[in-house]
Amino acid sequence: MQDFLELAVSATASGCVYGLIALAYLLMIRPTGIINFAVGEWAMVAAFGGYVLLTQHELPYPLGMGIVLAFMLLVGWVTERIAVRPLVEKGAGVLAPILALLGVLVITREIISVSFPPDPLPVPFAVDIQYYKYFVIGITLAVFVAAWLFFEKTVWGRSFEAVALNRRAAALMGINLSRVTAFSFAGGAAVAGLGGLLVAPNISAHYLMGVPLAIQGFTALVIGGVGRVEGALLGGLLLAFAEQFTIRYAPIPGGFAQGVPLLFLMIFLIMRPTGLLKARA
Amino acid sequence: MLHIRDLTAGYGAAPVLQGVNLHVDRGETVALLGPNGAGKSTLMAALTGTIRNRSGEVSFENHNLVFEASHAIVSRGVALVPEGRLVFPPFSVEDNLRLGAVRLKGRLQERYDFVYGLFPRLAERRRQAAGTLSGGEQQMLAIGRALMSNPRLLLLDEPFLGLAPKVVAEIRAALEKLRQTGLTLLMVEQKLDIALGFASRAYVLIKGRVALEEGTASLARRPDLRDLYFSLATAHNA
Repeated sequence: MQDFLELAVSATASGCVYGLIALAYLLMIRPTGIINFAVGEWAMVAAFGGYVLLTQHELPYPLGMGIVLAFMLLVGWVTERIAVRPLVEKGAGVLAPILALLGVLVITREIISVSFPPDPLPVPFAVDIQYYKYFVIGITLAVFVAAWLFFEKTVWGRSFEAVALNRRAAALMGINLSRVTAFSFAGGAAVAGLGGLLVAPNISAHYLMGVPLAIQGFTALVIGGVGRVEGALLGGLLLAFAEQFTIRYAPIPGGFAQGVPLLFLMIFLIMRPTGLLKARA
Repeated sequence: MLHIRDLTAGYGAAPVLQGVNLHVDRGETVALLGPNGAGKSTLMAALTGTIRNRSGEVSFENHNLVFEASHAIVSRGVALVPEGRLVFPPFSVEDNLRLGAVRLKGRLQERYDFVYGLFPRLAERRRQAAGTLSGGEQQMLAIGRALMSNPRLLLLDEPFLGLAPKVVAEIRAALEKLRQTGLTLLMVEQKLDIALGFASRAYVLIKGRVALEEGTASLARRPDLRDLYFSLATAHNA
């Protein structure tokens, strides 16, 4: 029982990180339709930010975290300006920015790989290691509550949803579509960065950490559905529980357990591509 | 108030509008007629900046709107009630109206009071999801939503399409009230009887060009009224 509870807490914490990455995807997909696979690299960049500020410069955690998240907002905003907006303004479909963002993914990873030593680099825990899982869960819940309140209760959030529902009608209201897109990328980068920073103490900062996170987050998104913010968290939790319980209890070699998210991804894409939670129609 | 000169606009290589000239004076109600595919909705899109390829001049209160983005045009005081209403179905009536006011510079409560006064049915249903409203109520919501930005020029694209006669009368009465407040209206309307009874002047758009501009009173007396589009299109081709 003890063992089961510990596993459940640890799965919840992992699920929170997946949920954050899924939320990052969702923030950008909802208003723009663009699937940005560079979220994994953004999480990786934030993890390296944690290494530089918290490990090398030993800044206090809240300060370091604040700087990393502010930097990620900027990264998202700049990415939108250089890799998305020029294509959208020329009237390209969503596939063009998706491919451009794959380019951003590769460039980001290579910049990090030539700038840092190839070994995994340590990032400190925010709180004592035995309480760290609860810290991750608490921060994630706060982010999701804030995101939910933003979308449901503020005019800004409603504007984002309006753009998701009907771009033309939203434009006719006077909603600035370019600004919504810029904000969604800045927010997406910050949320992905938060996920990367939170997971970094457990897995260390490494230039190859992005792609697995991108896949796990995308799987969580597909499970939960892109319709609602809560879906991202639900998808992340379900995926993490499935992963960890497979590793712990299923009689298969540990290496195969890494295939669980991909298996889930395939099952959901075939059986229920809209995800578990439907958007309110 | 609104002067359109040589406006060309379209979606692909071939422009739908091929040099449109028209003007609307302050306080006027002008109807825009024409057969399907003449470019009426494209003109509405060009006026509101939701179409990219535009050239020529759209002067509204001495600002050229041709180079402005849609949100800036709303700020200038032009609002469109689009064809097909385009309300946000999952949002409540009130949230739909709130979004209409994202560019509002005045007091929000005054706008709510104004719209709810014009359409009391919307007030009754303010918490209801827009998607659950009847077609007529959705049209009222679309008009109310456009009014939330406190526009000085209201564009309407076929506001009576597919509505029951009773609802048409209700919405007409509301538009009449709006006109009495001094609001300028430019309305796309296919049904000649409604358009001629409501507007003071009309333009007929044929194949992306203005084929006729006439006062509605004299237009209504035309002997070829029934075949108006056909005769104009024939004359246009000749």
